[in-house]
Amino acid sequence: MSSRGQSQREEILACAQSLRWELGAQFHEKLVESIYADAARLAARAVTRPGATPRFDLDRAIDRLVTSRRWGIPLMVLLFALVFWITIVGANYPSQFLASLLVDRLYPWLREGAAALGLPAWLRGLGIDGVYLATAWVVSVMLPPMAIFFPLFTFLEDFGYLPRVAFNLDNLFRRAGAHGKQALTMMMGFGCNAAGVTATRIIDSPRERLIAMLTNNFSLCNGRWPTQILIASLFIGALAPPYLAGLVSAAVVVGVALLGVLLSLAASWFLSRTALRGEVSTFSLELPPYRPPRLGQIIYTSLIDRTAFVLWRALVFAAPAGAVIWLVANVRVADASLAEHLIHFLDPLGFWLGLNGVILLAYLIAIPANEIVIPTVLMLTVLTTRLTGVGGGAGVMFELDNPADTLAVLRAGGWTLLTGVNLMLFSLIHNPCSTTLYTIYKESGSWKWTGVAAALPLALGFAVCFVVAQAWRWLGAG
Amino acid sequence: MLGQLAQTGAALAWAVAALAVIAAFVVLARAALARWRQGRQFRLRVRAEDALKHVYKARAAGERPTLESMAGSMQVSVNRAAQTVAGLQKADLLTLGEEGMRLTPSGERYALNVIRAHRLWEQHLAEKTGVAENEWHRRAERQEHLITPEQADSISAGLGHPTHDPHGDPIPGPRGDFPPMSDQLLSSLEPGRWARITHIEDEPEEIFAQIRAMGLAPGMQLRLLAKDPRRLRCWCDGEDHVLAPIVAANLTVQPLAEPAAAGEAARPLLLSHLEPGRRGRVVRLSPRCRGAERRRLMDLGILPGTVVRSELRSPTGGLTAYRVRDTLIALREEQAAQIQIEPLAEPAS
Repeated sequence: MSSRGQSQREEILACAQSLRWELGAQFHEKLVESIYADAARLAARAVTRPGATPRFDLDRAIDRLVTSRRWGIPLMVLLFALVFWITIVGANYPSQFLASLLVDRLYPWLREGAAALGLPAWLRGLGIDGVYLATAWVVSVMLPPMAIFFPLFTFLEDFGYLPRVAFNLDNLFRRAGAHGKQALTMMMGFGCNAAGVTATRIIDSPRERLIAMLTNNFSLCNGRWPTQILIASLFIGALAPPYLAGLVSAAVVVGVALLGVLLSLAASWFLSRTALRGEVSTFSLELPPYRPPRLGQIIYTSLIDRTAFVLWRALVFAAPAGAVIWLVANVRVADASLAEHLIHFLDPLGFWLGLNGVILLAYLIAIPANEIVIPTVLMLTVLTTRLTGVGGGAGVMFELDNPADTLAVLRAGGWTLLTGVNLMLFSLIHNPCSTTLYTIYKESGSWKWTGVAAALPLALGFAVCFVVAQAWRWLGAG
Repeated sequence: MLGQLAQTGAALAWAVAALAVIAAFVVLARAALARWRQGRQFRLRVRAEDALKHVYKARAAGERPTLESMAGSMQVSVNRAAQTVAGLQKADLLTLGEEGMRLTPSGERYALNVIRAHRLWEQHLAEKTGVAENEWHRRAERQEHLITPEQADSISAGLGHPTHDPHGDPIPGPRGDFPPMSDQLLSSLEPGRWARITHIEDEPEEIFAQIRAMGLAPGMQLRLLAKDPRRLRCWCDGEDHVLAPIVAANLTVQPLAEPAAAGEAARPLLLSHLEPGRRGRVVRLSPRCRGAERRRLMDLGILPGTVVRSELRSPTGGLTAYRVRDTLIALREEQAAQIQIEPLAEPAS
């Protein structure tokens, strides 16, 4: 009985196997077609449509305008220029307010309080000069621009305009082997690279999404704008006649940002033809209907999902970094601080790159946030040059209100025009901050791609700085 | 005192460093040796499997495999081929009789497993990755030796049990079964007949590349328009193609009974050629469009019968937005060129 059952089973399986050849390769597609046909029939029965199409279709009229050959691109440039202008100008006031509250008022008060409580000096230094100051700095510099930029950006997104930007610019990105929506994640990266990396979720093709993630760092983020503006006005704006200085330094900063966009496209082109050849790639871009923006939704998405989320991650990384910065400046080995040993060790490399050991060390220990690079540079410069009367002591980051004072400190640290130029380049082209790296790891789920995201811009930055420095010296300009 | 201490410390550090270097060297050398042994074993297995495949394919084509033909196809010396055959004989996979080399039943089974792995892997590369077409064969040539029959079954399941590889070759079933054949070479088709491409021979590579460059792929329907001893002219997928007979002999086709059965007596238009503001009905997606790309289009509801209207052109070009099932979807030009449509008149307003 069982052997008969067995042979029957074999027979059925063999029959099924031979019938399989007759199904044809299109079998699965026929299935999809019939599912769609069923769905369409059900929808036709259940949904009633207004009979006549309206004479004026607002969506179509807007689409005609924003994607038109003549007006599409200028309109887009204008809109984004407006967003950036509002962000940069508008963020100044709350930033100053936060800085005066957290750094100028609360910080001395905390120090005195801790001293009154009789806490040991090292604990006060580590906790207040290190951890507190770093996090306070990150909050006051990072929060206001994000809290302005993200709602504006989300407004455009919610209205339905952003997909049209991707539509307008896709050809550019197609040639670089990327997806048109990368234009949006890049734009988001100007706010914050970590948020830009998260935003790559809108790209549904795995290959193009990875490209967008790995190249987002070339968008000059909020944390780097102040550095660029400061260095540009100190070193390059000063070269121009005074009435042009502001214009020249603004042009230089915009130039650096555009260089970033160019590098981002170049890196996309390179990646899509080397490391990412053979990854799955598809394209589709839906242009949703326009709709009145929903205010509550915008505020929630931009402030909770984006700003608070990124800020929290940045704080988590900034707190220990503050401790490290303080320790490096205060732990003494033999007759100098750890920082001075490291700076002497890094100085030769810095020289070849047209930078210096202080800058390299600052980028190393201030990896959590680009916002604290300049304060760290100033602190380390004062530490190594043993300047007196400037700053708050070893391990205490500071900034100076007067640009001339800042320039004096940097000049004392041996800065030249070349150092300024190369710092601007290196600030654009270096590894992403640790917040962004962690976000890339979270989004890609791969240490390998996180490593690539760090190594690629770093190597490129070293190369660019090296070439510029050598050319500069060869031409005898520096 | 302090100087002495420093000297001793330095000497100690040097000694530790030297020890570490020696230890690292020993570990690396052992690993290299093991890898070399593994690699040698793997190369021997590859040679044996390639030999089995050669004998199987020659017999299936009605030819008589010889040591020379085997050496030629495997690109080794005849001596090497003879060694390999001896090994296969010992393993009872191959017999050397009056009428040349033949596979034993277990040898045939083995060969079919390798072929199955090869074709499944090509299908996998075509469907699940973005690897370029000209790399499929080379990659599968290597992978076929690494996939176990169990892995082959799970790959097959993951792909929805495909019956044919992307070149149109049938994939042997897990029991080594093949479909019934009713195909002929394109070069022997009568002019005026409709046929479906079932297979494109992937060797020699130059001819395969030439066929790929024309954009022909298995599953496409074509019509042979004219034929003379020097060239064949056929219509396929919205375009005319001219082929040399030697190229046509690398294409296997299945004749279709009636032009009507082909469902495209009229020449369809490509969606990429649809002018803005005009409508069309999708006839089908080109078989060239496969894998994730094809599924994405189908997910968006672009299927035979769907009405599509061209609406917006990107100002920088290369991209057009289409109204599909009440949704505005932008497709790139090369994607739209994969979709065949029949133009529709504007509805009376």
